[in-house]
Amino acid sequence: MSLVNAELFKVRTTSLWWIMGLVLLPLYAASVLVNWANSNVTTPPDDAGVTDTQSAQIEAALEPINVATNLYTSGQFFGILIVLLLSAIIVTSEFFHLTATTTFLTTPRRESVILAKFGAAVVIGLAVWLITTVLNLIVVPPIMNNLELGSQLGEPAVWRAIGLNALAFVLWGVLGVGAGVLIRSQIAATLILAITYVVGSAAVSLIFFLLSEYVAEWISNLQVLVPTSASQLMISGTDLPGSPPRWVGAVVLIGYAIVTGFLGTWLTKRRDIS
Amino acid sequence: MSAPGTDEIVVDHLTKQYKKLRAVDDLSFRVRSGRVTGFLGPNGAGKTTTLRMLLGLVAPTAGTATFGDQRYADLHDPVRRVGAVLEASSAHRGRTGRNHLRMICRAAGLPDTRSDEVLEMVGLTPAANRKFKGYSLGMKQRLGIAAAMLGDPRVLILDEPANGLDPEGIRWMRDLLKALAGQGRTVLVSSHLLGEMQLLADDVVIVAAGKLIRQGPVDQVLGDMSGGVVVRVRTPQTEALTTALSELSATVTPGPEGSLLVHGAEAAAVGHAAFTAGVELHELATERGDLEQVFLQLTAGKAGIR
Ligand SMILES: Nc1ncnc2c1ncn2[C@@H]1O[C@H](COP(=O)(O)OP(=O)(O)O)[C@@H](O)[C@H]1O
Ligand SMILES: [Mg+2]
Repeated sequence: MSLVNAELFKVRTTSLWWIMGLVLLPLYAASVLVNWANSNVTTPPDDAGVTDTQSAQIEAALEPINVATNLYTSGQFFGILIVLLLSAIIVTSEFFHLTATTTFLTTPRRESVILAKFGAAVVIGLAVWLITTVLNLIVVPPIMNNLELGSQLGEPAVWRAIGLNALAFVLWGVLGVGAGVLIRSQIAATLILAITYVVGSAAVSLIFFLLSEYVAEWISNLQVLVPTSASQLMISGTDLPGSPPRWVGAVVLIGYAIVTGFLGTWLTKRRDIS
Repeated sequence: MSAPGTDEIVVDHLTKQYKKLRAVDDLSFRVRSGRVTGFLGPNGAGKTTTLRMLLGLVAPTAGTATFGDQRYADLHDPVRRVGAVLEASSAHRGRTGRNHLRMICRAAGLPDTRSDEVLEMVGLTPAANRKFKGYSLGMKQRLGIAAAMLGDPRVLILDEPANGLDPEGIRWMRDLLKALAGQGRTVLVSSHLLGEMQLLADDVVIVAAGKLIRQGPVDQVLGDMSGGVVVRVRTPQTEALTTALSELSATVTPGPEGSLLVHGAEAAAVGHAAFTAGVELHELATERGDLEQVFLQLTAGKAGIR
C-alpha cells in the first residue's frame, strides 16, 4: 500500500496531472454536447440506404434508456484516453527521466513496483471516472428534460452503465501500465497509444465494416477483440442488435489487462536498468 | 577466507557480457567496512556496470556481488542497509528536491521528516523547494547523497561523485565520506580521477577492461609501484638546480605549472643540494607516489577508452 501511495505521490508532484486535467475539461464538454446532439437525430426513413441491422441499431440507440446511458457516461472516450496516457507515462517517465534507478534501488523487488503502478493506475482511473460521473449527474438531467425523456435516474440500467463505465476506466488504466512497460520510450508510447486509440478505433470500424461487407459477415463479430470496440460494447446500455452480448466486451478487456500486466511485469524483472 | 561481515561488499567472479563486449570479466574483490575504498579505472573499465550489478539493477552473466552473503534484492530493508549515488541526473526534472526525497521516504516507509534532515546535512535546505531542473551539477550530486543517506545506511556506494563538483564541493565530499567511514561504515567510491583518490581512499581496487589489475591499501599499491619518491620543486634557476641535482644522480623532469619533479632523491637531499649550489627555491615538497604514473603502468595497454 505504501508503494501505491508513493506512486500516486510521484504523479501529484509533477505538473503532468493538472496538464492532463486541463486537456480533459474541454474534451469532456465537447463529448456532452456531441452526445446531446446525437440524441436529437430522428430515425432515418426506410429508403435512406441503410441496412436493416443499421436502422435497427439506430432505433435501439434512440430508446430513452440508451440515450440516458450514453449521456450519463459522457466523457468516457476522452477520459479513458487521458487515463490510458497517464498510466503509460507513470511507467515510461521512469526511463525518460532516469528515475528508474532511484525507484528500483528503493524497491529492488520489481514486481512490487509494477504492481504498485497498476494500483496507482486503478486509483487514477477511478478518480477520472468519479469526476466525469459527478459532472454527468449534474449536467445530464437538465439535458434529459430538454429532450423530454425524464432524468431516467430511476432505471437500474443507467446505474449499471455507470458502474461498467468505472470498470472500463480501471481496465484501461491497467492496460496503459502494461503498454508503458512494453513500449518503454515515452514519446513512442504516448503517440502510439493516442493514435491507435483515437484514429485506430475509427479505422478499425472501417476495416471491419469492409471485411464483413466484402469477405464474410461473421468477421464483424471479431471486432469485439479490438480493445476500443470491447469497451464500447461493455458499457452500451442494452444489448444492441447484431452485437455480441456485452459481457464479452468485459472479458476481452480483462484479458488484455491481464496479458499486458503479466508480460509487463515479466519484462521489467528481466531488464537491465542502465 | 573468513566469513564476510554483513557490511562487507563481496564481489565474486563477477562477469557481464554485452553482445560483443565483456564489460566486466571475472572480477573478484572485497570492500571492508570502516574504510574508504576507491574503485579506480579508466572510462569504460566496467566500474558502473559492476556497481549496477552489485545493486541489482543489471543482471550478471556469471558470478555474484553481495553484501555479506546477501544479494541487494534479498536485503530485508535495502534503504536502511545500503545507500547509493549512481548518477547525478536521476531525478525528475519537474519535481522539487524535497519531493524527490519524500517520494523515496514513502516507498521505503521512512517518515517525511527524514527528507528535511538529510537536506540539512548536505546543505540543500535553501533549495529544497526548487525544481530539480534548476539545480547545478553540484547540487544534483548533493541531492543524490541526501537520497542515499535517507535510511542512515551502513554501506555507501558512489559512482564518480566528484564529477561536476567544484574544488570546494570535492573537499566537502571528501570530508563527508571520510567521516562516514570513520563511523565504521563501508564506503565504496568509483572514479577515473586518480589524484582525488590519492587524498580520499584508504584502499584501492584498480580495474581496466573489466579485469582486476590490483587491490590493496593505497600506500601499499603505490609504494610497490612508484619507483621511489618524487620531490616537487619550484625555482627561478632551473638550469643551476638541474646541474646541482645531477651530482646526486637524481633525474629532473618538468612538472605542472612550471615546477620540476625530482626522481630518486629525498626532499632533504634536494634542499641541501640547492643550498650548497646557492640556488633559490620557492617550493619544496614531497609528493606521494605519482598515482597517475602507477595507474598507467598498471593498466598498460588496457587503459584506452573503450
Ligand atoms: N547496456 C550496455 N550495452 C552494451 N554495452 C554496454 C552497456 N553498458 C555499458 N556498456 C559498455 O561496457 C563497458 C563498461 O562500461 P562502464 O561500466 O560504464 O564503464 P566505466 O563506468 O568504468 O566507465 C563500456 O565499454 C560500455 O560501452
Ligand atoms: Mg562509469
